[in-house]
Amino acid sequence: MNAASNPTLPLVACLIATVIPVFFGKLAVAPTWLSLQALALGWIALNKHHALDFHTLEAGLEVLIIRAGLVPHLLRRTLQGTRAAALDVMPSNLFAWGVAVALIILAFQFGDGARADVRALTLGVIAATVTMAFLVLATNREPVAQLVALLFMENALALFESLMPEPWPLPVHLAISGVYVGTVAVGSWLIRGQLASGILAPKPIEDDS
Amino acid sequence: MTASASVTNPNPAASSVATATRLADELIHGTHWVSSALVGAALLMWLVAMGVFLTHPLTELPLYFAQRYLVLDATSLLFIVVINTVFLGIGVYLYSRQRHTPTLARDIRSRAALMLLFMAVINIGLMANHLVLLWALIEVSTLCAAPLVARGNAANPQAVAWRYMLYSAMTLAITFLGFMALTQSAHLRGVEVSFMVDRMGESLTRAPDAWQRLGLSFMLFGLGGKLGLAPLYGWLPETYEAAPTTTSALLASVQFNISVVAVFRILQIFHGFEAGFVSQELLVMGYLSLVVAAVQIMASSNYKRLIAYACVSSSGVIALGLSVGKAAAYGVVLYIVSNAFVKSLLFLTAGRMRAVYGTNAVGPLSGVIRTLPMSGFLFSIGIFALLGFPPFASFLAEMLILSGIVQAGKLLAFTLMCVMLTVIFVATGRTVFPMLWGAPKVTVTAPPQSWVTLLPKLGFVGVLVMLGTYTPDPFNDLLRAVAVSIGG
Repeated sequence: MNAASNPTLPLVACLIATVIPVFFGKLAVAPTWLSLQALALGWIALNKHHALDFHTLEAGLEVLIIRAGLVPHLLRRTLQGTRAAALDVMPSNLFAWGVAVALIILAFQFGDGARADVRALTLGVIAATVTMAFLVLATNREPVAQLVALLFMENALALFESLMPEPWPLPVHLAISGVYVGTVAVGSWLIRGQLASGILAPKPIEDDS
Repeated sequence: MTASASVTNPNPAASSVATATRLADELIHGTHWVSSALVGAALLMWLVAMGVFLTHPLTELPLYFAQRYLVLDATSLLFIVVINTVFLGIGVYLYSRQRHTPTLARDIRSRAALMLLFMAVINIGLMANHLVLLWALIEVSTLCAAPLVARGNAANPQAVAWRYMLYSAMTLAITFLGFMALTQSAHLRGVEVSFMVDRMGESLTRAPDAWQRLGLSFMLFGLGGKLGLAPLYGWLPETYEAAPTTTSALLASVQFNISVVAVFRILQIFHGFEAGFVSQELLVMGYLSLVVAAVQIMASSNYKRLIAYACVSSSGVIALGLSVGKAAAYGVVLYIVSNAFVKSLLFLTAGRMRAVYGTNAVGPLSGVIRTLPMSGFLFSIGIFALLGFPPFASFLAEMLILSGIVQAGKLLAFTLMCVMLTVIFVATGRTVFPMLWGAPKVTVTAPPQSWVTLLPKLGFVGVLVMLGTYTPDPFNDLLRAVAVSIGG
């Protein structure tokens, strides 16, 4: 088996692209890590479907255009010029790190012994990513960090597809992609709105039909 | 304090009605067609829903289409009829308010577009025959609703809308973890799992299976959060209070129902599997919700928040009813349908009260029935329907649920539910009755309310009375069919 077709490598890459930003990353770099996660997802999809059929093409385009390109770009635009860009994804302290390490170990226990087979490793990576996302949500009150956590979580859910015997059908794929783009679009709009309303005076009370 | 001794309300919103109307007239220029188009679209959707209901006998259902990804069965048909009826009422109300509400006149294009998109997504979601598709469409509907929540008059509505979106994403992520656990359960047994609602039951096992239980537990817990069940109810009071009233009505009466349908789908899939486990989980979440609602209603000094906590209590009653299974199934379905109209009636009436008094606080609103006789009367009716008084459908539904709990032999559950409902009744009455019938503390200038504004609320009252006294046979059959599908 060569490196390109080894399913373990992209899973490890996906895990690294999740764990490193949570432990050491700044929010400004989070879009790049999201792109890396997306590329790892694409690699996993390619490994699963060797022939270039309709689904492989569709999955590849989704990963490249939406997950690796559009969404990180929108997130980068949201972060531009904000104070939040310089903050950590997860507050850097020993307690948070300790909890994160414990959660990752538990996630791989949930994956039923990550070294057993690729399926167990995949489950472990999904569980680790979801728990890291929940940890970021629990420890960071900064809305941009929370948005990054949501996007990490949705990438983990996208990885779940690789565990299915058959890939998601097109309508399900479209809906899940719609959720991913919608999350960053609506989330960014709301975050920018919060920043703006922090500067403007409160609105007068009127009919709120 | 009598009306003659009252002081003038300093609130600028109430005292400058003419200015607001003139401002709205200026803003409305060029957009007056938008709310008319919204009503037209809502009417069209309602006519289609009613047309399908009247032309498709239950014996012809289920009908599969779009390569079996969508299904028209009793469950989807019932909720399509209900939500499109509610939406028609909300659309008419919005149309009638546009002329008097500058913010609404300014935002009407985007709000109407988002509402229509929201309804389209919900209608498709109700018919989804694929659990993951349904999951994704619930999330998309949240993404459509978040910008609508952000149009509210709270101090920082975008922050509220953001937390609403965040909670929703988290609860739905928990639901998705449930899907993963079910997949793992099937894989370990060497079975292929299909997320098609009508086929998924084939991959379940009756043998004790920890992964299967974990999956079921996560799915119900996550969807319980979308329904506003404790412990994941935190988003609901804040969102319902901060959102514009029409949005609160949409969330409480329309989005709530797609989450109910998701729970029904899970119960339909697990029909005959893990019944005891489902019952225990729903029982715990139901009681927690009733306790939380009772405590918060006692402490509430804000009528919109009070309605929101009443929604938490309603979710608790629904969960308790579902936990009983067969005996209370019809009552639960009737309760859910009735609640869609009660919540809309209350939120739309609360919108009128806020428009006049300029506040959500209960304190300054003493004597509403004298200042705003029609709104006070409608709010009273809504509260009585909410509390389960006859002749409204909620009375009949609560009686059926309670008798179902007794029939199931859960006397402790019956007692606890009665105690909690009594506490909620007393706490609601203590807050709302002085607000409605007390001596007025302030004098307010109430702008005239057109008959078009009243029409949807009176329609909702009519539906509630009809469901509680005489339910037409075709609709009754539909309710029964849904009850049977969830184990009734």
